[in-house]
Amino acid sequence: MAIKKLIFIPAHNEELNIVNTVHQIQFFCPDTDFIVINDGSSDTTAAVCRANGFPLIDLPVNLGLSGAFQTGIRYAWENEYDAAIQIDGDGQHDPSFISQMEAKMEEEDLDIVIGSRFVTERKPHTMRMLGSSLLSAAILFTTHQYIGDPTSGMRLYNKRMLELFANNINYGPEPDTIAYLIHCGFKIKEIQVTMNERTAGTSYLTPFRSAGYMLNMAVSILLVQFFR
Amino acid sequence: MSVVLRVSLFVMSLLSAFWILYNIRKAKVRIEDSVFWLCFSLLLICFSVFPGIVTWGASVLGIQSPVNFIFLAIIFVLIIKLFRMTIRVSQLSSKLQTLTQDFALYEQKKEK
Repeated sequence: MAIKKLIFIPAHNEELNIVNTVHQIQFFCPDTDFIVINDGSSDTTAAVCRANGFPLIDLPVNLGLSGAFQTGIRYAWENEYDAAIQIDGDGQHDPSFISQMEAKMEEEDLDIVIGSRFVTERKPHTMRMLGSSLLSAAILFTTHQYIGDPTSGMRLYNKRMLELFANNINYGPEPDTIAYLIHCGFKIKEIQVTMNERTAGTSYLTPFRSAGYMLNMAVSILLVQFFR
Repeated sequence: MSVVLRVSLFVMSLLSAFWILYNIRKAKVRIEDSVFWLCFSLLLICFSVFPGIVTWGASVLGIQSPVNFIFLAIIFVLIIKLFRMTIRVSQLSSKLQTLTQDFALYEQKKEK
């Protein structure tokens, strides 16, 4: 029996990408429910979704990625979905991999499946990937499990995870939560996916915030998770 | 720096760090908001373990008593933190205002 799953799409100022992203999802997953979560965009993202008849949760103020993410998870939990997957509104996640991720979850009874750029592929040597490598190393050091792409937002969560993420603080869609969950004994694995470069608009994570982000993650992965 | 000062600085910093971790455990504070306080405790622990930093800093700035350098450093960091908190509170206020208005306008639209 197929599980009831939800695709949720956090979107912040994605008026140029959102239609394309949703059309891709409709093409590859025609029978799966999806919902766009507009994170208080200052552009016409919400209007574009309404005009196209996309299911929409329109947050009146900007909550940031973790707030928009939790909205999707809560919607999935309260509407009794068995699993939920995040697909970013900028179109960088390729929905053709969703069925593979779901198969992997069912086969190995996993709690989270991460769509990862670096399972079989090598990491390129750029500044951004240096950060990613440091996070992978921190997670390997504390949990003894290698996560090649800890910052990937393309993650499939099972029902147990939905309950946890929907009802607690400090369960953001970030690498430190992944490390903490592995530490707690939940089963998390990656599969290889390809990601597209963003086609238009600007990213959530600006270079200016990256240093602060890395500090947060380092403290959280290396220290805080042992006291939670 | 006297030994008593160093020891009390060390002990108080350690206690406050554990108090913060305890609050994370109780899910009272978000991890990203606690990182500042953990780093702040770490700074004070560094001052107590390596008093050389303090005497060096005091001599560079021409401060006679090293302990005054600790006060200065703490005040400086806290002023920056206070200013950032002010920005946060402003943002939260305006978000709350928007949220309340949105909700009331929505209700009003529904009643029509």
